[in-house]
Amino acid sequence: MKDLNAVWIMTKLFTLRFFRDKIALFFTLVFPLIFLVIFGFIFGGNESPSFNVALINKSQTDFSKTFVEETKNGEIFQITETDFESAKEKMGRGEFDAILEIPEGFGALDEQGRPSGTLTSYFDPGDEQVASGFQATLQGVLDSINAELVQVEKPLQLESKPIQTANLTRFDYTLAGLLGFSIMGLGIFSMSEGFTVDKKTGSLRRMKVAPIRAWQLIVATALNRIFVGMISIAFLFITALLIFDFNMRGDYISFALFSMIGTACIFGFGMAIAGWAKDANQAAPLTQIITLPMMFLSGIFFPTFLMPVWLQNVTQFIPLTPIVDGLRMVLTEGKTLLDLGPQLAIIGVWTLVIYLIAFKVFRWE
Amino acid sequence: MAETIVEVRGLTKKYGKKTTVRGIDFDVREGEVFGILGPNGAGKTTTLEMLEALRPIDGGGALLDGIDVKKHPHKVKEIIGVQLQSTSFFNQLTLVELLRLFGGMYHQTVHPYKLLEMVNLRDKAKSTVDTLSGGQRQRFSVASALVNKPKVLFLDEPTTGLDPQARRNLWELVQDIQKTGITIVLTTHYMEEAQLLCDRVAIMDNGKIIALDTPDNLIKDLLKKGFKKKAEVQQADLEDVFIDLTGKDLRE
Repeated sequence: MKDLNAVWIMTKLFTLRFFRDKIALFFTLVFPLIFLVIFGFIFGGNESPSFNVALINKSQTDFSKTFVEETKNGEIFQITETDFESAKEKMGRGEFDAILEIPEGFGALDEQGRPSGTLTSYFDPGDEQVASGFQATLQGVLDSINAELVQVEKPLQLESKPIQTANLTRFDYTLAGLLGFSIMGLGIFSMSEGFTVDKKTGSLRRMKVAPIRAWQLIVATALNRIFVGMISIAFLFITALLIFDFNMRGDYISFALFSMIGTACIFGFGMAIAGWAKDANQAAPLTQIITLPMMFLSGIFFPTFLMPVWLQNVTQFIPLTPIVDGLRMVLTEGKTLLDLGPQLAIIGVWTLVIYLIAFKVFRWE
Repeated sequence: MAETIVEVRGLTKKYGKKTTVRGIDFDVREGEVFGILGPNGAGKTTTLEMLEALRPIDGGGALLDGIDVKKHPHKVKEIIGVQLQSTSFFNQLTLVELLRLFGGMYHQTVHPYKLLEMVNLRDKAKSTVDTLSGGQRQRFSVASALVNKPKVLFLDEPTTGLDPQARRNLWELVQDIQKTGITIVLTTHYMEEAQLLCDRVAIMDNGKIIALDTPDNLIKDLLKKGFKKKAEVQQADLEDVFIDLTGKDLRE
């Protein structure tokens, strides 16, 4: 009981200290907010995809003139007429998504008096997703022209209509990832930074003089950071609601509790690194090793369902994945804490393991 | 004769192959100011840190108020106050808040203002440590070591780096603390400080205690051996001149 009282007093004063530290405040409250706003504007719109296309027109036919004209006026393609060499070079730099070549005589009338010919599109094999999207779109355009020209009734047809399931915008989908990202930033980056500084100055050593144990310091620090983390998440969430019209479908209690559990788990990692490392030089590489997979494989920036199955099998066990997934399920699917059993199980195991490690490897100086 | 409160027997510290403290023995009596003197690297700080349960003891042991440091480091920490040689406090908290923080760690109700009063920092209560002068910082460090009303107070080179005024001021503080009944163990390499403050001193060199007695007895022993100072003893020295010219008032 006495020990817990000490933890409580430490938590209070650590928190007070945190709020007086302007740099820490910037990185925990303002920085994620800037990040959210930037990403919000990138992912915010519901625009249909558009492609930057280099066009090489070698045909002089009337049909090809009209075709180029129409394509240019359309919204899907951003057309730039150029020559092949410079187009290829620019595609290599990512300035173009594809090169479209209209061969000589394209659109010349055939025996039946219909314009005909074959377009060639060049793509960067390293960018296959964009290329296939472009090809499908272009094929669609050609198909509709073909249909007009040939006038055949097709017995089998596909009709595609966009429906927005539950009216989910891209931003709605992205928010969970952004929250996950800021939890990671707070829990791992700012944690390992702050603690190693305290070790360097000797203020941790001064505390070691008192009869407190490592777990008390760890728990007090974790509680303080969870509290700060909640405030940061609230900030982000309110911004999402006000500026980006975020559509909240879940209940706030599940959201708050789940964020808290997730934050506590991720802080364990920051704590373990910072507790073990003697200085920033030791903490930095370890921080990178732990955060890089989280950043790229947890579905923060890239949805995990785009990954190959074997990789998905691995990524679901990366600690941040169930957190981002769970947040997404609460925020966009209206799931409650009770629906998140599998996520909570993985988070629970990680929390247990990482805090045991943190207690074990902790060093005061 | 007063009771023994610190009992050190065969205390040893090794770093790899190097032995920095070589099986030393000494007792500190309740209520005295005990000084450990010695040149840099003699093992003073290491000795202190073993007694403070901050460094593992590699051989021998120590009892503080009857508590075995090796077996019950946490119990020992509850009854001692420690001022580390180089220390640092959170710069974002005021002195009062820091004292509350340390009090919390000892499960003690602290009276921050009383403590600050005692070390003459009452008017700095709402300041942070980074705004304090060297002497003020050292006095605050002593105040922070008193939050748990310790039985033994360890001061590691408390006056190193201070100007003569601040040093005299700290000496008075040490004497005031002694009057409240707290036993003080301090290290120093200033002899005049040891002579003024300490009831008994141990002189350490190369990890060993080479002499232990009251300052007066140590001087008498030396004189018995026929020692004579080369220069004629003057009734004042340069420091007396300095204090006479600049006054005793604290500059901070």
